[in-house]
Amino acid sequence: MRISVEINGRAYEDDVEPRTLLSDFIRHHAGLTGTKVGCEQGVCGACTVQLDGEPLRSCLMLAVQADGRSLRTVEGLADDGELHPLQRAFHEAHALQCGFCTPGFLMSMEAFLRERPAPAEHELREALAGNLCRCTGYVAIIEAVESAAREMRGGDVQGG
Amino acid sequence: MKPARFDYAAPATVDETLGLLDDDATVLAGGQSLVPLLNLRLAQPALVVDIGGVAELDYIRAEDGALRIGATTRQAALERSQLARDDWPLLHKAVRLVGHPQIRTRGTVGGSVAHADPAAELPVALTALGARFHLASRRGVRSLGAAELFLGPLYTSREPDELLVEIEVPAQPDGSASGFAEHARTHGDFATAGAAAVVAPGRAGIALLGAAPVPVRAEAAERALAAGAAPHEAAELAAADIDDDYRRALCTELARRAIAEATP
Amino acid sequence: MSAGRLVGRPVRRREDERILRGGTRYLDDIDPPGAAHVAFVRSSFAHARITGVNVPDGLDGVTAVITAADLEGRVSDLPVQGFDGGRVSAEGHPVLARDEVRYAGQPVAAVLAESRALAEDAAELVEVDYEPLEPVLAARSSDVTMTHWHKLTGDVDGAFASAEHVVRASHALPRLAPVPMETRGAIASHDARDDMLTVWVSAQDSHRQLAGLAKVLDRAEEAIHVVVPDVGGAFGSKGAPAPETMLVAAAAIATGRTVKWAEHRGENFVASYQGRGVEAELELAFDAGGRMLALRARIWADLGGYLMPTTAIPGHTTAMLMCGVYDIRAADVELIGRRTNKVPTGPYRGAGRPEAAYFLECTVDVAARQLGLDPLELRRRNLIRELPYETALGWTYDSGDYARCLELAEELVEPERLSDGERVVGTGFGMYVERAGGQYETAEAELLPDGRVLVRSGSSPHGQGHDTTFAQLAAERLGIELADVELRFGDSKEVPRGVGTFASRSVAMGGSAVVEAADALRERCRSVAARLLAVAEDELEWKGGGRLAAPHGRSVTLSELAAAEPDIRVSARFSSDLSFSSGAYGAVVEIERATGRLRVLRLAAVDDAGTIVNPLLAEGQVIGGTAQGLGQCLVEEAAYDEAGNPTFASFVGYSLLTAAEMPPVTTAFVESPSPLNPLGAKGIGEGGSIGTPGAVANAVADALGGARVDPPFSEDKLWRALREAGR
Repeated sequence: MRISVEINGRAYEDDVEPRTLLSDFIRHHAGLTGTKVGCEQGVCGACTVQLDGEPLRSCLMLAVQADGRSLRTVEGLADDGELHPLQRAFHEAHALQCGFCTPGFLMSMEAFLRERPAPAEHELREALAGNLCRCTGYVAIIEAVESAAREMRGGDVQGG
Repeated sequence: MKPARFDYAAPATVDETLGLLDDDATVLAGGQSLVPLLNLRLAQPALVVDIGGVAELDYIRAEDGALRIGATTRQAALERSQLARDDWPLLHKAVRLVGHPQIRTRGTVGGSVAHADPAAELPVALTALGARFHLASRRGVRSLGAAELFLGPLYTSREPDELLVEIEVPAQPDGSASGFAEHARTHGDFATAGAAAVVAPGRAGIALLGAAPVPVRAEAAERALAAGAAPHEAAELAAADIDDDYRRALCTELARRAIAEATP
Repeated sequence: MSAGRLVGRPVRRREDERILRGGTRYLDDIDPPGAAHVAFVRSSFAHARITGVNVPDGLDGVTAVITAADLEGRVSDLPVQGFDGGRVSAEGHPVLARDEVRYAGQPVAAVLAESRALAEDAAELVEVDYEPLEPVLAARSSDVTMTHWHKLTGDVDGAFASAEHVVRASHALPRLAPVPMETRGAIASHDARDDMLTVWVSAQDSHRQLAGLAKVLDRAEEAIHVVVPDVGGAFGSKGAPAPETMLVAAAAIATGRTVKWAEHRGENFVASYQGRGVEAELELAFDAGGRMLALRARIWADLGGYLMPTTAIPGHTTAMLMCGVYDIRAADVELIGRRTNKVPTGPYRGAGRPEAAYFLECTVDVAARQLGLDPLELRRRNLIRELPYETALGWTYDSGDYARCLELAEELVEPERLSDGERVVGTGFGMYVERAGGQYETAEAELLPDGRVLVRSGSSPHGQGHDTTFAQLAAERLGIELADVELRFGDSKEVPRGVGTFASRSVAMGGSAVVEAADALRERCRSVAARLLAVAEDELEWKGGGRLAAPHGRSVTLSELAAAEPDIRVSARFSSDLSFSSGAYGAVVEIERATGRLRVLRLAAVDDAGTIVNPLLAEGQVIGGTAQGLGQCLVEEAAYDEAGNPTFASFVGYSLLTAAEMPPVTTAFVESPSPLNPLGAKGIGEGGSIGTPGAVANAVADALGGARVDPPFSEDKLWRALREAGR
């Protein structure tokens, strides 16, 4: 089946089988390998991308289901080359080590902060629970997201 | 792993869908339960019928006092629904515990019901609310209650040629309050036990998750509560039939929390 | 970032931008066109004879199906690394099973096809005839000993006979799965024209992969090129070469195709070697003043079906560290490693050190209760105070300040104890000492034409931040900007042969090699500059920015030196004995009475890894290790059922902690410099996983009024323990 998927504002067209996963389309058909695959079970979150701005597991969607739809992946997060506040905050807080889980975290958190710009700490921790990291122990990731959220709110005192 | 091969159809209407359903077909709604099974090759259907494009099943509305949820309504949409939150708050409390936001973006209310995972939050909440489930096929429509629908773990009375089309939740009595409590090893993991409670003066709906292979109404507990028992007394009744002492204690505590939340 | 003092500064990582933009290339991101993809047929039995393998004809898109018979004469079994002073049998892991499988998940055959999906389709159709055999699933019920080590020092029997108190305790640590977020994988390509085998592999270093391939394929090392791409975590599990990697390489040679294997998560769970899986019985003899007179320890290791290259190592490490931070002059320690029908064990973060710390620290708390002493006081009476110190087991601890670590841990954790109708709260401590570094490491430094410096390192990062840390070391030594140092890792043709990244060795060994290479480069530059400026070498002075100045005012820059002499390049090989990091961890935990649920309220992690080069990265290692230590305590267990089937073949059966479960962690570094290397550094990579379990276990026991439970501390265990303890 021939499908066309818009990713980060550009159309990618290719032949797929019905069983081709969206994660494999993004990585191997569109060649955008920034999105990673960790489990193909929807648990680890490494494959998280955004569909119309909503975060989802690309390993749990068939590529054919994305035909004609619009996706954003980590390669599309930096605005015109300039790093997103989340990316800068991750760097500053040392919220990444091996980096494999990082794209998934960024795409999940960018969506989360849009919906909840001033999360309480427990809300943030629960939102982060949808992405697994084996390297950092999460503490620096929590700090990074809180810091990015503050910056994106214009440097307000942390809300709740 | 990659799925085994399958044929794929994406009907646009309920009628088209019904024409495709038979023993060799599997319905794909949100995919959050089916695709993991495909990826493990535990499910190897010949035909996958993707109902994600059946727009007529995507709705949440109130009609004659009842809440009607179309089967392909996304869990995220239910979570955001002010209508559900205001008048059927138990649904809001349950749905926000389903997996993670990324799962709820795609997962559907109907899919969760039809999959009937014993650890799932929506089936047990709907059971406590006395929901009815509407199934359609070429042979007609039928409407089932929770006890008739949920037969076992991952097993419902839906025939292969039937499609779950709507979940209907009756109006809740005045003065209802609700509570939901669950226990999972880590946040967002499958629940190991849980309880849903809707309590109004003289009436109660209590259902347990993880106490039996299917969500069960705790009828003795409901009667006791309606007669004025304290939350912990009702909770003990709710979990009384569980053999394992730890599981009984855990379910009792979760039931107590859910009931206490529902009886402010 | 200006030059000058860089060591000890929390420099942010240079590696980050590429990762954050999605520009990384892990193994599966590499898509060689026309590659054949591998899917393995794996044993569904824990123990069975194989009487036949039937491959149907006409499998769609399949290039080849390879069995052990096809590999006859082309490969040998994987090598086995032993240890000194003991016995290690020669039960190496075969590349593919021949007539026997010894664990569920063991690779039996490999299908090569045009795509991963097609390979998996075909793999399902390959029929293996099994004659199931009874599996052995516990080390103590096995009659096959694969490793053995025993050391007896001093009059242990006499000490026990005359002791005022004898304390006995038994503990068990279940197996753990390493679960790196990136699974394993390898790509191999053989160029028949020059007989060069190139292998890309998600690994902890190129050296051990290269050596393993050479051995197993009986191939000259010069004819093998190993490239380690970006690696998404390893934690020990990608150090030893994998049988699957050997198969991929052999298949590439045999078929002339580029062959790719990208492991799926289920395979990683069942077939990647596991950690821990050890039980111990300890006895401590005390005098009337609570001084430890002697230790007896019997340790049983559940090693699995074969010895993979490094399976023997962790048990030996445990045995060697059994005296911990205490001054115990008589010891009788025996390690017995038995064969079972499970996947082999091997190094997993901590790799034997957490086991030693756990067994000893739990027993010390049992002793405190029995002797009626405060657990911290009992420790203080027995800590080694003067270092270097040679232990009764034969290692020499180079430096440390154990008392200071303990004092800090107590202060930072803010002990708390409570018991009310809803919960019990307890506090516990655990100390550790661990072996770090050792052997040697290599580095080469060369001056580039533009005056920048290229350092090639034998270390191999997979998340630790070596690119930044080593650049800090080289830039400071050379007096140049951080941005003017470039690092190269992981490609066997680009870096000097070294030892690799494991055992908390990178800064102490790899970093010291970088320092020595930088120093050697400085000396070469000085000598070239002296010629150029016609002065004596000792008249030259290094100025900032990599400039060498002579007394008469003339000077040269590094780029001018490079222009004058094109091949300024030096190499260094740094070797040293093992250094010993140490620490003290404290935990405060709460158990909810109604559900048995354990919440860790806070942790204090005090580590002494000598000089800390980058405190930001070091803290990252501690907290990451702590999360794994907590996982071991709260939710992780790789359990097999009674038939020997893994119950942990997916994330449904094996849980990892999420951000929602992490407690506040207060970290602190005590710096007792090591005399063994120019940096004074030791190892910080594993401390978090070593110190945490003992502290949490002791806190749980404290909350339970002394009752002891083995991890994971699941709700049902704690609920029952509270009932039985009458608390």
